[in-house]
Amino acid sequence: MLVFCTPSLCQDIALQTASGGVTISGSGPFTSGFGNVNGLGAGTTPTGLTLVTSGVSGGVLYTTPYNIRISGASTSHPAAVSIYMSTNFGHPSNLILKSCYPSSSCTSAASYGAVSTSSASPTPVISAPGLNNSTVTASFALFVSNTSGTGFFSGTDTAAVTFLVYDASNMSLKHTYVLNLTSPATNVQTAVRLTLGTASGGVTISPASDYSMSYGNVNGLGIGPSSGLTVVSASGGVIYTTPYLLQPSFSSFSTSTATLKAYVSLDFVHPAIVEMRNASSSGGPYAAISKSSGSQTSLTATAASGTAVTRYLGLFVANTNGASAFTGADNARLTYTLTAP
Amino acid sequence: MGTSFPFNDLGGPLKHLLIVVFVVCLVSLMSLPAFASNDAVNTNTVSPTLVVSVTVQKAIRLTLATGSQCTVSAGGGGDYSISFGNVDALAINTATCGSKFVPTTPGSTNAVYYTDYTVTPMFTSQTTTNNSLSAYVSSTFSKANLSIVQSNSAPSAIGDLSSMSTSSGAQTSLTTNAASGSAVTRYVGVSVAPTNGAGLTGSDSATITYTLTVQ
Repeated sequence: MLVFCTPSLCQDIALQTASGGVTISGSGPFTSGFGNVNGLGAGTTPTGLTLVTSGVSGGVLYTTPYNIRISGASTSHPAAVSIYMSTNFGHPSNLILKSCYPSSSCTSAASYGAVSTSSASPTPVISAPGLNNSTVTASFALFVSNTSGTGFFSGTDTAAVTFLVYDASNMSLKHTYVLNLTSPATNVQTAVRLTLGTASGGVTISPASDYSMSYGNVNGLGIGPSSGLTVVSASGGVIYTTPYLLQPSFSSFSTSTATLKAYVSLDFVHPAIVEMRNASSSGGPYAAISKSSGSQTSLTATAASGTAVTRYLGLFVANTNGASAFTGADNARLTYTLTAP
Repeated sequence: MGTSFPFNDLGGPLKHLLIVVFVVCLVSLMSLPAFASNDAVNTNTVSPTLVVSVTVQKAIRLTLATGSQCTVSAGGGGDYSISFGNVDALAINTATCGSKFVPTTPGSTNAVYYTDYTVTPMFTSQTTTNNSLSAYVSSTFSKANLSIVQSNSAPSAIGDLSSMSTSSGAQTSLTTNAASGSAVTRYVGVSVAPTNGAGLTGSDSATITYTLTVQ
Protein backbone atom coordinates (compact mmCIF):
# COMPACT_ATOMS: atom_id res chain seq x y z
CA MET A 1 0.00 0.00 0.00
CA LEU A 2 1.38 3.36 -0.95
CA VAL A 3 0.63 6.12 1.54
CA PHE A 4 0.70 9.75 0.62
CA CYS A 5 0.28 12.67 2.91
CA THR A 6 -0.02 16.36 2.59
CA PRO A 7 2.59 18.36 4.44
CA SER A 8 0.10 19.24 7.14
CA LEU A 9 -0.54 15.58 7.82
CA CYS A 10 2.99 14.26 7.44
CA GLN A 11 5.58 13.72 10.13
CA ASP A 12 6.02 16.98 11.92
CA ILE A 13 7.71 18.40 14.98
CA ALA A 14 7.41 21.30 17.36
CA LEU A 15 10.27 22.51 19.54
CA GLN A 16 9.35 23.17 23.12
CA THR A 17 10.93 24.29 26.33
CA ALA A 18 12.11 21.32 28.36
CA SER A 19 12.10 21.19 32.12
CA GLY A 20 15.26 22.83 33.33
CA GLY A 21 16.12 24.14 29.90
CA VAL A 22 16.21 27.49 28.20
CA THR A 23 12.98 28.96 26.92
CA ILE A 24 12.01 28.13 23.36
CA SER A 25 9.35 30.32 21.86
CA GLY A 26 7.54 30.50 18.55
CA SER A 27 5.93 27.89 16.35
CA GLY A 28 8.33 27.85 13.48
CA PRO A 29 10.58 29.61 13.22
CA PHE A 30 11.45 28.95 16.83
CA THR A 31 13.59 31.23 18.96
CA SER A 32 15.90 30.64 21.86
CA GLY A 33 19.36 31.67 23.03
CA PHE A 34 22.17 31.26 25.51
CA GLY A 35 22.71 34.76 26.91
CA ASN A 36 25.82 35.53 28.98
CA VAL A 37 28.52 32.90 28.79
CA ASN A 38 32.29 32.81 29.23
CA GLY A 39 35.12 30.44 28.53
CA LEU A 40 35.81 29.71 32.20
CA GLY A 41 32.28 29.04 33.30
CA ALA A 42 32.78 31.76 35.88
CA GLY A 43 29.96 33.63 37.49
CA THR A 44 26.31 32.73 37.58
CA THR A 45 25.20 30.24 34.97
CA PRO A 46 22.17 31.61 33.11
CA THR A 47 18.79 30.08 33.92
CA GLY A 48 18.13 26.99 31.89
CA LEU A 49 21.78 26.24 31.26
CA THR A 50 24.04 23.75 32.98
CA LEU A 51 27.77 24.23 33.08
CA VAL A 52 30.04 21.34 32.12
CA THR A 53 33.77 21.74 32.65
CA SER A 54 34.93 18.18 33.13
CA GLY A 55 36.22 16.57 29.98
CA VAL A 56 36.21 19.82 28.07
CA SER A 57 39.44 21.10 26.63
CA GLY A 58 39.99 24.75 25.78
CA GLY A 59 36.76 26.04 27.24
CA VAL A 60 33.48 24.95 28.77
CA LEU A 61 30.10 23.67 27.72
CA TYR A 62 26.78 25.24 28.54
CA THR A 63 24.10 22.60 28.04
CA THR A 64 20.34 22.77 27.86
CA PRO A 65 17.66 20.19 27.22
CA TYR A 66 14.85 20.89 24.75
CA ASN A 67 11.76 18.98 23.75
CA ILE A 68 10.83 17.70 20.32
CA ARG A 69 7.12 16.98 20.03
CA ILE A 70 6.52 14.59 17.16
CA SER A 71 3.18 14.49 15.40
CA GLY A 72 1.81 13.07 12.16
CA ALA A 73 3.92 9.95 12.50
CA SER A 74 2.80 6.36 12.67
CA THR A 75 4.30 2.96 13.23
CA SER A 76 4.82 2.50 9.52
CA HIS A 77 5.87 6.06 8.96
CA PRO A 78 7.88 7.19 11.99
CA ALA A 79 9.70 10.48 12.10
CA ALA A 80 13.40 11.14 11.95
CA VAL A 81 15.07 14.47 12.68
CA SER A 82 18.38 15.93 11.67
CA ILE A 83 19.85 19.36 12.20
CA TYR A 84 22.53 21.60 10.76
CA MET A 85 23.83 25.09 11.35
CA SER A 86 22.05 27.03 8.67
CA THR A 87 23.69 30.15 10.06
CA ASN A 88 26.74 29.40 12.09
CA PHE A 89 28.08 31.66 14.78
CA GLY A 90 30.17 34.49 13.43
CA HIS A 91 33.06 33.20 15.54
CA PRO A 92 32.90 29.49 14.84
CA SER A 93 36.14 28.63 16.61
CA ASN A 94 34.96 30.35 19.78
CA LEU A 95 31.37 29.18 19.79
CA ILE A 96 30.44 25.68 18.69
CA LEU A 97 26.97 24.24 19.00
CA LYS A 98 26.84 20.56 19.90
CA SER A 99 24.01 18.07 19.99
CA CYS A 100 23.10 14.99 21.99
CA TYR A 101 20.10 12.66 22.00
CA PRO A 102 18.40 11.38 24.04
CA SER A 103 18.93 13.92 26.79
CA SER A 104 19.07 11.22 29.44
CA SER A 105 22.28 9.96 27.87
CA CYS A 106 23.88 13.38 27.72
CA THR A 107 25.74 12.99 30.98
CA SER A 108 29.20 14.12 29.96
CA ALA A 109 30.97 16.34 27.49
CA ALA A 110 31.85 13.30 25.43
CA SER A 111 28.15 12.68 24.84
CA TYR A 112 27.92 15.70 22.56
CA GLY A 113 28.90 15.99 18.93
CA ALA A 114 29.29 19.17 16.92
CA VAL A 115 26.30 20.13 14.84
CA SER A 116 27.07 19.92 11.15
CA THR A 117 27.41 23.14 9.23
CA SER A 118 26.40 21.43 6.01
CA SER A 119 22.85 21.00 4.84
CA ALA A 120 24.07 18.13 2.71
CA SER A 121 25.24 16.14 5.70
CA PRO A 122 23.13 17.20 8.63
CA THR A 123 23.63 15.82 12.13
CA PRO A 124 21.08 13.15 13.06
CA VAL A 125 19.12 13.79 16.20
CA ILE A 126 16.48 11.11 15.87
CA SER A 127 17.85 8.54 13.51
CA ALA A 128 16.03 5.87 11.51
CA PRO A 129 14.04 3.81 12.29
CA GLY A 130 12.64 6.97 13.89
CA LEU A 131 9.89 7.53 16.41
CA ASN A 132 6.15 7.49 16.47
CA ASN A 133 4.15 10.39 17.85
CA SER A 134 5.66 11.38 21.16
CA THR A 135 7.56 14.11 22.94
CA VAL A 136 11.22 13.41 23.41
CA THR A 137 14.01 15.42 24.95
CA ALA A 138 17.32 16.20 23.28
CA SER A 139 20.13 18.47 24.44
CA PHE A 140 22.24 21.20 23.00
CA ALA A 141 25.64 22.17 24.30
CA LEU A 142 27.37 25.39 23.49
CA PHE A 143 31.12 25.15 23.58
CA VAL A 144 32.64 28.46 24.64
CA SER A 145 36.35 28.80 24.01
CA ASN A 146 38.62 30.23 26.69
CA THR A 147 41.04 31.61 24.14
CA SER A 148 42.86 34.82 24.86
CA GLY A 149 45.25 36.49 22.49
CA THR A 150 45.17 35.41 18.87
CA GLY A 151 41.71 34.18 17.99
CA PHE A 152 40.03 35.62 21.06
CA PHE A 153 36.45 36.81 20.99
CA SER A 154 34.18 38.67 23.34
CA GLY A 155 30.83 40.17 22.53
CA THR A 156 27.52 39.05 21.09
CA ASP A 157 26.94 36.46 18.43
CA THR A 158 23.96 34.64 16.96
CA ALA A 159 23.27 31.50 14.97
CA ALA A 160 20.42 29.53 13.48
CA VAL A 161 19.80 25.79 13.49
CA THR A 162 17.67 24.17 10.85
CA PHE A 163 15.67 21.09 11.82
CA LEU A 164 14.90 18.64 9.02
CA VAL A 165 11.94 16.32 9.62
CA TYR A 166 11.86 13.09 7.63
CA ASP A 167 9.58 10.19 7.05
CA ALA A 168 11.96 7.67 8.55
CA SER A 169 10.52 4.87 6.44
CA ASN A 170 12.06 6.31 3.30
CA MET A 171 13.97 9.34 4.62
CA SER A 172 11.98 11.74 2.54
CA LEU A 173 12.04 15.29 3.83
CA LYS A 174 8.70 16.43 5.13
CA HIS A 175 9.28 19.61 7.09
CA THR A 176 11.99 22.17 7.72
CA TYR A 177 12.11 24.42 10.74
CA VAL A 178 14.56 27.04 11.90
CA LEU A 179 15.58 27.61 15.49
CA ASN A 180 17.05 31.07 15.77
CA LEU A 181 19.58 31.34 18.59
CA THR A 182 19.08 35.05 18.84
CA SER A 183 17.00 35.74 21.91
CA PRO A 184 18.85 36.19 24.06
CA ALA A 185 21.88 36.56 21.86
CA THR A 186 24.95 34.68 22.95
CA ASN A 187 27.09 37.18 24.81
CA VAL A 188 30.65 36.02 25.36
CA GLN A 189 32.04 37.83 28.37
CA THR A 190 35.60 38.14 29.52
CA ALA A 191 36.35 36.14 32.65
CA VAL A 192 39.18 36.00 35.15
CA ARG A 193 39.89 33.52 37.88
CA LEU A 194 42.72 33.12 40.34
CA THR A 195 42.94 30.12 42.58
CA LEU A 196 45.63 29.21 45.09
CA GLY A 197 46.70 25.64 45.50
CA THR A 198 48.91 23.37 47.54
CA ALA A 199 52.23 22.61 45.91
CA SER A 200 53.80 19.19 46.11
CA GLY A 201 55.55 18.93 49.44
CA GLY A 202 54.19 22.26 50.61
CA VAL A 203 51.86 23.43 53.31
CA THR A 204 48.17 22.82 52.63
CA ILE A 205 46.31 25.78 51.20
CA SER A 206 42.67 25.49 52.26
CA PRO A 207 39.77 27.21 50.53
CA ALA A 208 38.18 29.37 53.16
CA SER A 209 37.28 33.05 52.73
CA ASP A 210 39.02 32.81 50.24
CA TYR A 211 42.03 30.71 51.24
CA SER A 212 43.92 30.01 54.40
CA MET A 213 47.12 28.36 55.50
CA SER A 214 48.90 27.85 58.77
CA TYR A 215 52.58 27.84 59.56
CA GLY A 216 51.78 26.22 62.89
CA ASN A 217 54.28 26.72 65.67
CA VAL A 218 57.33 28.69 64.69
CA ASN A 219 60.29 30.18 66.49
CA GLY A 220 63.19 32.44 65.80
CA LEU A 221 65.65 29.59 65.59
CA GLY A 222 63.78 27.54 63.01
CA ILE A 223 63.56 24.54 65.31
CA GLY A 224 61.06 21.88 64.32
CA PRO A 225 59.30 23.26 61.24
CA SER A 226 55.88 21.76 60.58
CA SER A 227 55.28 19.42 57.68
CA GLY A 228 55.63 21.17 54.34
CA LEU A 229 57.92 23.87 55.68
CA THR A 230 61.63 24.34 55.33
CA VAL A 231 63.78 26.83 57.18
CA VAL A 232 66.05 29.33 55.49
CA SER A 233 68.42 31.45 57.53
CA ALA A 234 67.98 35.19 57.45
CA SER A 235 69.50 38.17 59.14
CA GLY A 236 67.89 38.64 62.53
CA GLY A 237 65.92 35.41 62.46
CA VAL A 238 64.81 32.65 60.15
CA ILE A 239 62.36 32.17 57.30
CA TYR A 240 59.88 29.34 57.27
CA THR A 241 59.04 28.75 53.64
CA THR A 242 56.66 26.67 51.59
CA PRO A 243 55.99 26.35 47.90
CA TYR A 244 52.46 27.07 46.74
CA LEU A 245 50.63 27.39 43.49
CA LEU A 246 49.04 30.40 41.87
CA GLN A 247 46.67 29.24 39.19
CA PRO A 248 45.53 32.05 36.88
CA SER A 249 42.81 31.59 34.30
CA PHE A 250 41.40 34.19 32.01
CA SER A 251 39.42 34.08 28.79
CA SER A 252 38.39 36.20 25.85
CA PHE A 253 41.10 38.81 26.32
CA SER A 254 43.10 40.30 23.50
CA THR A 255 46.44 39.24 24.96
CA SER A 256 47.53 35.93 26.39
CA THR A 257 49.58 37.04 29.37
CA ALA A 258 48.53 38.60 32.63
CA THR A 259 50.13 40.04 35.73
CA LEU A 260 50.05 38.58 39.21
CA LYS A 261 50.68 40.74 42.22
CA ALA A 262 50.24 40.47 45.96
CA TYR A 263 50.33 42.64 49.03
CA VAL A 264 49.75 42.27 52.73
CA SER A 265 46.27 43.71 53.08
CA LEU A 266 46.08 42.97 56.78
CA ASP A 267 49.40 42.89 58.57
CA PHE A 268 50.40 40.87 61.60
CA VAL A 269 49.78 42.52 64.93
CA HIS A 270 53.50 42.05 65.60
CA PRO A 271 55.11 43.07 62.30
CA ALA A 272 58.56 43.40 63.86
CA ILE A 273 58.48 39.73 64.81
CA VAL A 274 56.75 38.06 61.84
CA GLU A 275 56.74 39.20 58.24
CA MET A 276 55.57 37.73 54.94
CA ARG A 277 58.22 37.33 52.25
CA ASN A 278 58.23 36.09 48.69
CA ALA A 279 60.74 34.22 46.55
CA SER A 280 60.70 32.48 43.20
CA SER A 281 62.94 29.68 44.40
CA SER A 282 63.13 27.76 47.63
CA GLY A 283 66.50 29.11 48.67
CA GLY A 284 65.57 32.69 47.94
CA PRO A 285 66.39 35.48 47.85
CA TYR A 286 63.34 36.39 49.87
CA ALA A 287 61.93 39.90 49.81
CA ALA A 288 59.30 41.37 52.07
CA ILE A 289 55.87 41.44 50.44
CA SER A 290 54.55 44.94 49.98
CA LYS A 291 52.04 46.25 52.45
CA SER A 292 50.66 48.79 50.01
CA SER A 293 47.84 48.12 47.60
CA GLY A 294 49.23 50.90 45.45
CA SER A 295 52.62 49.30 45.00
CA GLN A 296 52.07 45.59 45.21
CA THR A 297 54.80 42.99 44.97
CA SER A 298 54.98 41.60 41.44
CA LEU A 299 54.88 37.82 41.31
CA THR A 300 54.97 37.55 37.54
CA ALA A 301 54.15 39.70 34.55
CA THR A 302 53.83 36.79 32.16
CA ALA A 303 51.17 34.59 33.70
CA ALA A 304 49.61 32.29 31.14
CA SER A 305 46.04 31.16 31.52
CA GLY A 306 45.81 27.64 32.84
CA THR A 307 49.47 27.44 33.82
CA ALA A 308 50.22 27.24 37.51
CA VAL A 309 52.93 29.51 38.85
CA THR A 310 54.98 28.16 41.74
CA ARG A 311 56.17 30.67 44.27
CA TYR A 312 57.58 30.38 47.76
CA LEU A 313 55.80 32.05 50.61
CA GLY A 314 58.19 32.80 53.41
CA LEU A 315 57.39 33.69 56.97
CA PHE A 316 60.22 35.59 58.60
CA VAL A 317 60.41 35.08 62.36
CA ALA A 318 62.70 37.41 64.27
CA ASN A 319 64.98 36.05 66.97
CA THR A 320 64.17 38.96 69.24
CA ASN A 321 64.50 38.64 72.98
CA GLY A 322 63.63 40.94 75.82
CA ALA A 323 60.79 43.38 76.23
CA SER A 324 59.93 43.49 72.53
CA ALA A 325 59.79 39.70 72.20
CA PHE A 326 56.50 38.11 71.30
CA THR A 327 55.03 34.65 71.67
CA GLY A 328 51.57 33.57 70.69
CA ALA A 329 49.22 33.51 67.74
CA ASP A 330 49.10 36.08 64.99
CA ASN A 331 47.48 36.37 61.57
CA ALA A 332 47.95 38.28 58.37
CA ARG A 333 46.02 38.49 55.14
CA LEU A 334 47.51 38.55 51.68
CA THR A 335 45.54 39.85 48.75
CA TYR A 336 46.48 38.59 45.33
CA THR A 337 45.52 40.40 42.17
CA LEU A 338 45.35 38.86 38.74
CA THR A 339 45.00 41.43 36.01
CA ALA A 340 44.47 40.49 32.41
CA PRO A 341 45.44 43.29 30.04
CA MET B 1 -8.58 74.24 68.82
CA GLY B 2 -6.20 71.42 69.35
CA THR B 3 -3.46 70.60 66.86
CA SER B 4 -4.14 67.55 64.76
CA PHE B 5 -2.05 65.72 62.16
CA PRO B 6 -4.20 64.17 59.45
CA PHE B 7 -2.92 60.77 58.36
CA ASN B 8 -1.96 62.05 54.95
CA ASP B 9 0.24 64.72 56.46
CA LEU B 10 2.42 62.02 57.94
CA GLY B 11 1.81 59.32 55.38
CA GLY B 12 2.82 61.38 52.39
CA PRO B 13 6.43 62.08 53.32
CA LEU B 14 6.79 58.60 54.77
CA LYS B 15 5.83 57.02 51.49
CA HIS B 16 8.40 59.09 49.70
CA LEU B 17 11.00 58.03 52.18
CA LEU B 18 10.20 54.37 51.69
CA ILE B 19 10.41 54.71 47.93
CA VAL B 20 13.78 56.37 48.17
CA VAL B 21 15.10 53.65 50.45
CA PHE B 22 13.91 50.96 48.08
CA VAL B 23 15.68 52.50 45.12
CA VAL B 24 18.89 52.88 47.06
CA CYS B 25 18.80 49.25 48.12
CA LEU B 26 18.17 48.13 44.58
CA VAL B 27 21.11 50.10 43.29
CA SER B 28 23.30 48.75 46.07
CA LEU B 29 22.42 45.18 45.30
CA MET B 30 23.12 45.71 41.64
CA SER B 31 26.56 47.04 42.42
CA LEU B 32 27.57 44.18 44.70
CA PRO B 33 30.07 41.65 43.33
CA ALA B 34 27.95 38.88 41.97
CA PHE B 35 30.50 36.12 42.43
CA ALA B 36 33.09 34.71 44.77
CA SER B 37 36.17 36.83 44.82
CA ASN B 38 38.39 34.31 43.11
CA ASP B 39 36.59 34.70 39.79
CA ALA B 40 34.68 37.39 37.96
CA VAL B 41 33.15 38.07 34.57
CA ASN B 42 33.04 41.13 32.37
CA THR B 43 36.12 42.54 34.05
CA ASN B 44 39.86 42.06 33.83
CA THR B 45 40.91 41.70 37.43
CA VAL B 46 40.19 39.51 40.42
CA SER B 47 41.64 39.62 43.93
CA PRO B 48 41.31 36.58 46.19
CA THR B 49 42.86 36.62 49.64
CA LEU B 50 44.97 34.24 51.69
CA VAL B 51 44.83 34.32 55.46
CA VAL B 52 48.10 33.23 57.03
CA SER B 53 48.12 32.12 60.64
CA VAL B 54 51.08 31.43 62.85
CA THR B 55 51.94 30.80 66.47
CA VAL B 56 55.26 32.16 67.61
CA GLN B 57 56.96 30.16 70.34
CA LYS B 58 60.01 30.65 72.49
CA ALA B 59 63.04 28.71 71.35
CA ILE B 60 66.37 27.85 72.85
CA ARG B 61 69.38 26.03 71.47
CA LEU B 62 72.85 25.15 72.69
CA THR B 63 75.44 23.81 70.29
CA LEU B 64 78.95 22.55 70.88
CA ALA B 65 81.61 22.82 68.22
CA THR B 66 85.26 22.25 67.60
CA GLY B 67 87.56 24.97 68.75
CA SER B 68 91.14 25.04 67.53
CA GLN B 69 92.11 21.61 68.81
CA CYS B 70 90.18 18.37 69.32
CA THR B 71 87.23 17.65 67.08
CA VAL B 72 83.79 17.83 68.60
CA SER B 73 81.64 15.40 66.68
CA ALA B 74 77.91 14.94 66.57
CA GLY B 75 76.72 11.70 68.13
CA GLY B 76 79.10 9.13 69.51
CA GLY B 77 76.91 8.06 72.41
CA GLY B 78 75.59 11.52 73.23
CA ASP B 79 74.56 14.61 71.35
CA TYR B 80 78.25 15.33 70.88
CA SER B 81 81.48 13.48 71.53
CA ILE B 82 85.17 14.21 71.83
CA SER B 83 88.08 11.76 72.15
CA PHE B 84 91.45 12.36 73.76
CA GLY B 85 92.94 9.08 72.57
CA ASN B 86 95.71 7.49 74.64
CA VAL B 87 96.52 9.22 77.88
CA ASP B 88 98.69 8.34 80.85
CA ALA B 89 99.37 9.75 84.27
CA LEU B 90 102.94 10.71 83.45
CA ALA B 91 101.88 12.55 80.27
CA ILE B 92 104.21 10.43 78.25
CA ASN B 93 101.69 9.95 75.47
CA THR B 94 101.59 12.79 73.04
CA ALA B 95 98.18 14.32 73.00
CA THR B 96 96.23 12.94 70.06
CA CYS B 97 94.64 16.35 69.86
CA GLY B 98 94.71 19.32 72.11
CA SER B 99 97.33 19.88 74.75
CA LYS B 100 98.63 18.33 77.94
CA PHE B 101 100.08 19.30 81.25
CA VAL B 102 102.63 17.03 82.77
CA PRO B 103 102.15 16.32 86.47
CA THR B 104 103.65 18.75 88.90
CA THR B 105 105.13 15.84 90.73
CA PRO B 106 105.30 12.86 88.40
CA GLY B 107 104.05 9.76 90.09
CA SER B 108 102.32 11.75 92.79
CA THR B 109 100.10 14.28 91.08
CA ASN B 110 97.80 14.10 88.08
CA ALA B 111 98.51 14.73 84.44
CA VAL B 112 95.90 16.51 82.31
CA TYR B 113 95.05 16.21 78.62
CA TYR B 114 92.74 19.05 77.48
CA THR B 115 91.33 20.90 74.51
CA ASP B 116 89.44 24.03 73.73
CA TYR B 117 85.93 23.92 72.28
CA THR B 118 83.06 26.30 71.78
CA VAL B 119 79.55 26.43 73.12
CA THR B 120 77.01 28.64 71.37
CA PRO B 121 73.83 29.57 73.17
CA MET B 122 70.89 30.75 71.10
CA PHE B 123 67.48 31.78 72.29
CA THR B 124 64.55 33.73 70.86
CA SER B 125 61.28 35.28 71.95
CA GLN B 126 62.38 35.21 75.56
CA THR B 127 61.18 38.00 77.74
CA THR B 128 64.69 38.51 79.07
CA THR B 129 68.22 38.08 77.85
CA ASN B 130 69.50 37.05 81.27
CA ASN B 131 70.87 33.56 81.03
CA SER B 132 73.22 31.08 82.56
CA LEU B 133 75.24 28.29 81.04
CA SER B 134 76.44 25.47 83.28
CA ALA B 135 77.64 21.90 83.03
CA TYR B 136 78.19 18.84 85.17
CA VAL B 137 79.47 15.34 84.71
CA SER B 138 76.27 13.36 84.52
CA SER B 139 78.09 10.07 84.03
CA THR B 140 81.57 9.75 85.41
CA PHE B 141 84.41 7.58 84.12
CA SER B 142 84.20 4.05 85.40
CA LYS B 143 87.90 4.06 86.16
CA ALA B 144 88.80 5.74 89.41
CA ASN B 145 91.95 7.33 88.04
CA LEU B 146 90.09 9.44 85.46
CA SER B 147 88.09 12.62 85.97
CA ILE B 148 86.82 15.61 83.98
CA VAL B 149 88.43 19.00 84.46
CA GLN B 150 87.54 22.31 82.89
CA SER B 151 88.44 25.96 82.65
CA ASN B 152 86.56 29.04 81.47
CA SER B 153 89.76 30.59 80.16
CA ALA B 154 92.85 29.32 78.44
CA PRO B 155 94.84 27.45 81.10
CA SER B 156 98.47 28.35 81.46
CA ALA B 157 99.22 25.81 84.13
CA ILE B 158 97.69 22.56 85.27
CA GLY B 159 96.25 24.32 88.26
CA ASP B 160 94.09 26.47 86.01
CA LEU B 161 91.95 23.44 85.25
CA SER B 162 89.55 22.42 88.01
CA SER B 163 87.26 19.49 88.48
CA MET B 164 83.86 19.75 86.86
CA SER B 165 80.93 19.23 89.18
CA THR B 166 79.30 15.85 89.21
CA SER B 167 76.14 17.22 90.79
CA SER B 168 73.18 18.35 88.75
CA GLY B 169 72.14 20.46 91.70
CA ALA B 170 75.42 22.34 91.87
CA GLN B 171 76.67 22.56 88.34
CA THR B 172 79.84 24.24 87.20
CA SER B 173 79.15 27.66 85.75
CA LEU B 174 80.56 28.21 82.27
CA THR B 175 79.20 31.72 81.78
CA THR B 176 76.30 34.02 82.53
CA ASN B 177 74.43 36.38 80.28
CA ALA B 178 76.02 35.15 77.11
CA ALA B 179 74.86 36.82 73.95
CA SER B 180 72.48 34.72 71.88
CA GLY B 181 74.27 33.39 68.87
CA SER B 182 77.77 34.18 70.08
CA ALA B 183 80.19 31.30 70.52
CA VAL B 184 81.95 31.00 73.87
CA THR B 185 85.31 29.24 74.05
CA ARG B 186 85.82 26.91 76.97
CA TYR B 187 88.33 24.22 77.92
CA VAL B 188 87.69 20.65 78.96
CA GLY B 189 90.11 17.91 79.79
CA VAL B 190 90.79 14.55 81.36
CA SER B 191 92.78 14.38 84.55
CA VAL B 192 94.74 11.14 84.95
CA ALA B 193 95.74 10.17 88.46
CA PRO B 194 98.97 8.19 89.02
CA THR B 195 97.06 5.45 90.76
CA ASN B 196 98.14 1.88 90.49
CA GLY B 197 96.02 -1.18 90.83
CA ALA B 198 93.72 -3.34 88.85
CA GLY B 199 91.40 -2.12 86.12
CA LEU B 200 92.92 1.29 85.62
CA THR B 201 93.85 1.02 81.96
CA GLY B 202 91.83 0.73 78.78
CA SER B 203 89.15 2.80 77.20
CA ASP B 204 86.62 4.73 79.21
CA SER B 205 84.16 7.53 78.72
CA ALA B 206 82.23 10.09 80.71
CA THR B 207 79.20 12.22 79.88
CA ILE B 208 78.93 15.93 80.47
CA THR B 209 75.49 17.55 80.49
CA TYR B 210 75.26 21.24 79.63
CA THR B 211 72.36 23.42 80.68
CA LEU B 212 71.39 26.76 79.17
CA THR B 213 68.73 28.64 81.05
CA VAL B 214 67.20 31.98 80.09
CA GLN B 215 65.21 33.67 82.82
